[in-house]
Amino acid sequence: MNEQRKDILDMLAEGKITAEEAEQLIAALERDQPPAASSLDARPKGKAKYLRVVVDALEDGEPARVNVRVPLQLLRAGVRLAALIPPQALGKANAELNKSGVPFDLSQLKPEQLEALVDHLDEMTVEVDQSDAKVRIFCE
Amino acid sequence: MPQLLTVRVKRPGGRPIRIWVPVLPIVLVFAPVVVLAVLVAAVACLVYRVSVVRALGTGWRFVSALPGTRFDVEQGHTAVLVTIR
Repeated sequence: MNEQRKDILDMLAEGKITAEEAEQLIAALERDQPPAASSLDARPKGKAKYLRVVVDALEDGEPARVNVRVPLQLLRAGVRLAALIPPQALGKANAELNKSGVPFDLSQLKPEQLEALVDHLDEMTVEVDQSDAKVRIFCE
Repeated sequence: MPQLLTVRVKRPGGRPIRIWVPVLPIVLVFAPVVVLAVLVAAVACLVYRVSVVRALGTGWRFVSALPGTRFDVEQGHTAVLVTIR
């Protein structure tokens, strides 16, 4: 019960207002409540199972839509698969990244860190809104 | 493990094509090729000093996690949908 509703009920209990007035006040309070959260925020909370990527765009004047659903379990398996990449291949990838101006050492990326990242994906929502495209990445 | 792969293709002015691929029978039919692929993967693991058991286990885990995957691409009157169940 929120504070304002409690105040109204207290006033009713103390006899400062009548039951009708209390009812009107509560009704007014409910009208003033902020609108319900958007459908994205209102999705059921719980352990997320899927990563969703939804893209709505206009391509050559035609509406285009990409809707991808990937099980988070698949991401976890992919992370484990990535951990099997031999060090030679990582070295080559690092060199190419450096050449492209991305000084990133892939060998520093541990599978445990990636798994922790996947575990916390369900709290992540990315929304990109542009005039001709809308991208949403979220977990459900 | 995936049981069914569904592919649906919709083209402008044409009838939509739907293909259902039962994974297990296909894997059984192509069993010799699958065994060969596993052997090649095992050899590659040995060459690159990666644990064969770990690699095969991870590969199996990856395949087992595929059900539930869905790709849906639409543009105008053209659409492609791939689902794995």
